[in-house]
Amino acid sequence: MIGKTFIKETKELFREGRVRISLFIVLALLGVAVWISTRQYEAVNDQYAAAKTTERSVWDGQGEKNPHSAAHYGTYAFKPKYPLSLVDQGVDKYAGTSIFLEAHNRNDAQFSAAADQTGLARFGDLTPDFILLFIIPLLIILLGYNSLTKEREMGTLALLKSQGISFWKMILGKWTALFLPILVITVTLFLIAGVVLSRIEDFGVFNWDALLAMCLIYIMYYAVFTNLVLIVSALTRKSGVSLVIALSMWIAACLAAPKMATNVANNQHPYPTAQEFAASILEDKENGLDGHNPWSEESKKLEQDVLAKYGVDSLHQLPFNFDGYRMQKGEEHAAEVYFKHYKLLKDQYERQSEVYQGLAVLSPYLPTRFMSMAVAHTDYGTHWDFSDAAEKYRIATQKFLNEHFAENSGYGEWGWQADADFWQQLPAFEYEPTSLKSTIREQKANLSILGIWLLLSFSGLLLTVKRF
Amino acid sequence: MLRPNFKYELKQLLRSNWLWLLCIILISLFSFATYNGLKKVEAREALIASAKAKTQENDTKMLKTLDSLEQGLEVHLKPWDLPSDPIVVGSDHPRVAAMPAADFTFLATGQSDLFAHYKKPKVYGGGIIEDFTEMTSPVQLLFGSFDLAFVIVFLLPLLIIAFSYNVLSAERESGTLRLLAAQPIGIRTWVLQKLLIRFFWLSVLVLVSLIGVLLVFKADPFTNISGLLGLLGLVLVYMLFWFALAFLVNLWVGSSAKNAVAMLGLWIGFVLLVPSMLNQLGTTIYPMPSRTLMINELRARQADATERQDEILDNYLRDHPEYAVNDTTETRNFWHGYMASQNLLRDEIKPVTDRYNAQLKKQQRWVNRFKWLSPAVTIQESLNKLAGTATSDYENYREQVLAFSEEWRAHFMPFLYNNQKFAKADYPDLPRFEYQKQDQSQMASIPMLLLISLVLFGLGFLASRNMKSGGILNQA
Amino acid sequence: MITTNDLTKKYGGHIALDNLNLNVKEGEIYCLLGANGAGKTTTINLLLGFIEPTSGSAFINQLNVHENPKATKQFLAYIPENLMLYPSLTAVENLDYFSGIAGKKPTTTALKGFLEDAGLQPEAYDKRTSTFSKGMRQKVGIAIALAKDAKVLLLDEPTSGLDPKASNEFGNLLQKLRKKGVATLMATHDLFRAKEVATHIGIMKGGQLKQQFMADDISLSQLEKAYLNTMDYKETVS
Repeated sequence: MIGKTFIKETKELFREGRVRISLFIVLALLGVAVWISTRQYEAVNDQYAAAKTTERSVWDGQGEKNPHSAAHYGTYAFKPKYPLSLVDQGVDKYAGTSIFLEAHNRNDAQFSAAADQTGLARFGDLTPDFILLFIIPLLIILLGYNSLTKEREMGTLALLKSQGISFWKMILGKWTALFLPILVITVTLFLIAGVVLSRIEDFGVFNWDALLAMCLIYIMYYAVFTNLVLIVSALTRKSGVSLVIALSMWIAACLAAPKMATNVANNQHPYPTAQEFAASILEDKENGLDGHNPWSEESKKLEQDVLAKYGVDSLHQLPFNFDGYRMQKGEEHAAEVYFKHYKLLKDQYERQSEVYQGLAVLSPYLPTRFMSMAVAHTDYGTHWDFSDAAEKYRIATQKFLNEHFAENSGYGEWGWQADADFWQQLPAFEYEPTSLKSTIREQKANLSILGIWLLLSFSGLLLTVKRF
Repeated sequence: MLRPNFKYELKQLLRSNWLWLLCIILISLFSFATYNGLKKVEAREALIASAKAKTQENDTKMLKTLDSLEQGLEVHLKPWDLPSDPIVVGSDHPRVAAMPAADFTFLATGQSDLFAHYKKPKVYGGGIIEDFTEMTSPVQLLFGSFDLAFVIVFLLPLLIIAFSYNVLSAERESGTLRLLAAQPIGIRTWVLQKLLIRFFWLSVLVLVSLIGVLLVFKADPFTNISGLLGLLGLVLVYMLFWFALAFLVNLWVGSSAKNAVAMLGLWIGFVLLVPSMLNQLGTTIYPMPSRTLMINELRARQADATERQDEILDNYLRDHPEYAVNDTTETRNFWHGYMASQNLLRDEIKPVTDRYNAQLKKQQRWVNRFKWLSPAVTIQESLNKLAGTATSDYENYREQVLAFSEEWRAHFMPFLYNNQKFAKADYPDLPRFEYQKQDQSQMASIPMLLLISLVLFGLGFLASRNMKSGGILNQA
Repeated sequence: MITTNDLTKKYGGHIALDNLNLNVKEGEIYCLLGANGAGKTTTINLLLGFIEPTSGSAFINQLNVHENPKATKQFLAYIPENLMLYPSLTAVENLDYFSGIAGKKPTTTALKGFLEDAGLQPEAYDKRTSTFSKGMRQKVGIAIALAKDAKVLLLDEPTSGLDPKASNEFGNLLQKLRKKGVATLMATHDLFRAKEVATHIGIMKGGQLKQQFMADDISLSQLEKAYLNTMDYKETVS
């Protein structure tokens, strides 16, 4: 029974022009999207590699220099592009790609691609994620909107009923017929992506597990859409009405809900502006130790403490350069201030994430989008993680430089210079994104929301079919 | 036939619950979008106002200090924080270079979530490359904002599609078409009349609810009449375009469901695919040079300038002999060398940063040339311009801020190199920033879109000329 | 009023109508009998200009249908097999709409007069037609013909699906119109009704008009016999 319905439905589908045309269009779009993304991915990675080595050689070749001058001269941390960004570009376009690491200041990532494009970029890009998230659900609607209404319209429903058909079996057959082509497209796409990615050299972080996880997320997403489309088709009398309702659902879930969510999130938990953020950090910094300012109260206090600790009466008698020591203490204070403020910002971001998760009740698109980005390491979380890692590296670098200064020079020796080959001793900045396991653990909330969507839509389908 | 069509179309619309549903949908969409837009504008204005107030407050303090200094009184400030030092005024007392919201900024978020709306150019302390981006969650940038432009560009066509996809096919499917076709009328004219009548009523509905919502939310639409007319004109021609497409589809395609699929395909094409392809092509033909590689280049030049600071200062002073004449003390400190090398660096990197602006301008020209391929792009661009949030507005602002930044630095150079103190009397001469808006009238796209729509209507008429009403009848 | 000259319609190799020559004058009711696919509906569609003839021509009131699609429709009224009206409009409003787009502007009293003449019960005038039976909708269709002052009436299976009483009423209505000088062409399966109302009867098969009778010259049983004979007759070609 299930098999017969499946075969009949599949035959009907493939005999129709609209199915063939739309399948062809979707495949063509996918091809173009994958091609463009691969090219971009390769170009960006080449640039990344070039920039990284050049920057390191600039750092290594500073020559003889005071370590604190080198600290001000600073260095850059560049954000790499991860293999699965080929499938999902996520927020990459909107997040900066390079962070300037210097003394005293934590800088934000600079130079997002979007800021360098015209307003047209805001319409979206022709990337695989666009097709996966928007177009394939649309394809499901197109293939399935009349799956049940046509039986009513052609009057075959009465005939089927008189044959004593079990409706849930018929539905299962129809469900499979609708879902199978989608499954085939999705699996093929991910296979192609996997093959392309394993062919690209230096694919260090790429693993098939992550690709599989992503594929499963999308399959869940499509199952939800398949259920919803069939529910609508079962509840409406006319194909046209069914199509219009299914489309409205698509618009609400994929277009309107995300935009609404950003407005709600930002109204409830607004981000400070860059200027406000900088001002509040400055205020806190000024209330603490300033490494450059030996006259401030904090500075005097530190002086007293250190003198007492070492049991000497003048800074010249200390076994290290107090300037370097104070500089490091100041750095630590600044780092604390930054930590506090970035923590506040991060809290705000987490509260916004909760709003998104709350609104995911309205749209299966939202949890899918967030999980897909997270697995691809193109989400905001990864960006945070990267910028935190860069900050950690910055603090370590400052410590490295200040200690070298303090240990190798005397108090007041501002003209002291480190050797030209000293710079090479600074370890390189390496960033490893979180493992798939911990990503999935972090995405638990989204995963369960999508799971609930899946369960509810399945039971909804079975319930409506009972009354069909 | 117009009179009975008009009369009974309205009657049928009123009796089906469609119109009421549409009314409620429109009003709620407009309200939510307007609320969001106004909230953003409010936050922006408040931010600028508070920055200006803060500057005012600091200025008062500074003037007081200057006054005390000039009267020889004791001041409780560190020696390097005294405002008699021109570098202190130039760095710690910057002016607010703000880009205030325009009358219709609430219409379209445009690029406003990407960029900051005020900058404080400083003599010392800003980056070598001024960063104009705003601290916004990238998720928010990715999803975009639910603004009026979104409702108009994306959602309104869908309402039109729902309102017009089955004008002819519904008659066939409900069986009234045969009776209708037996009347002495042309089916094309009849479809056209039906669609124009629906266009008329939908326009009335959209305009009334839009203006109503704006009035309720106190967006004061009537303070800028030409802007309001521009907005309404844009909305109307965009709606007309979609009705023209509906006309073609109604005549050419068959059943209601097929019509709906065809209309939806057109919607995806015009609203989603064409814009993203245009963007993709634009960025491929005029690629942005890599920013990461630019950093490498800047670093090299920066290293070079730091190394040659003394040499650069000498050259600078040779080029500006007036400073040697005016200043008898000839004392030189850190700032003299630093400023000279920074000036040189700025001059050197200008061609590098100009490359980006030039490329962006080329991309923008590309968009302007091909935006006619999708009325959605045309309307979005026009609404952005009307709102003052288009790419070109921010570019214009950037250029003005950079010019002002130049002016601000230049203002302090004579003080620095003449070793002249900043006095209270010099305060009124400080440069001030006033944002100059660019022309926001968007009337040009209105006749163009009108023309496109009329061509589509004409096309429908011509192409279906040989198609007798019977042809339409027998497709069923 | 209704004339066809060698009217022929082919769909590819299939001949739907083969050299039909008909002439229905004022005050005549011509009934076309025949099985499904005999060419009855094709004839009506050709007379309405809904399809183009392959050869030959059709005339309404001496005007070539193909050349004057709009003008010929001024004179005719058409009642399709399943006449549908706008369900959200009342009977009067439907009538007003259809006569409006035909260029007539009758007053409400006049409209109600037409509905009365068509035999619709008065309490239904201002009811929405969504609840109307087929017979009631057909009466509105007749009222549309009356309001238009049609000289030609084309009917496609008007009595199928009507109960005997409604069918009888409909026959009486046609007689009334005939007396007013209307030329009627009616395609039907219903031998009994055809014998009742027609002045002329034709039997079609395979796109050809096989036999014609004056209705008064033939009894119902003779008609049935003739009909069955025509249907049973196997053509050598097939």
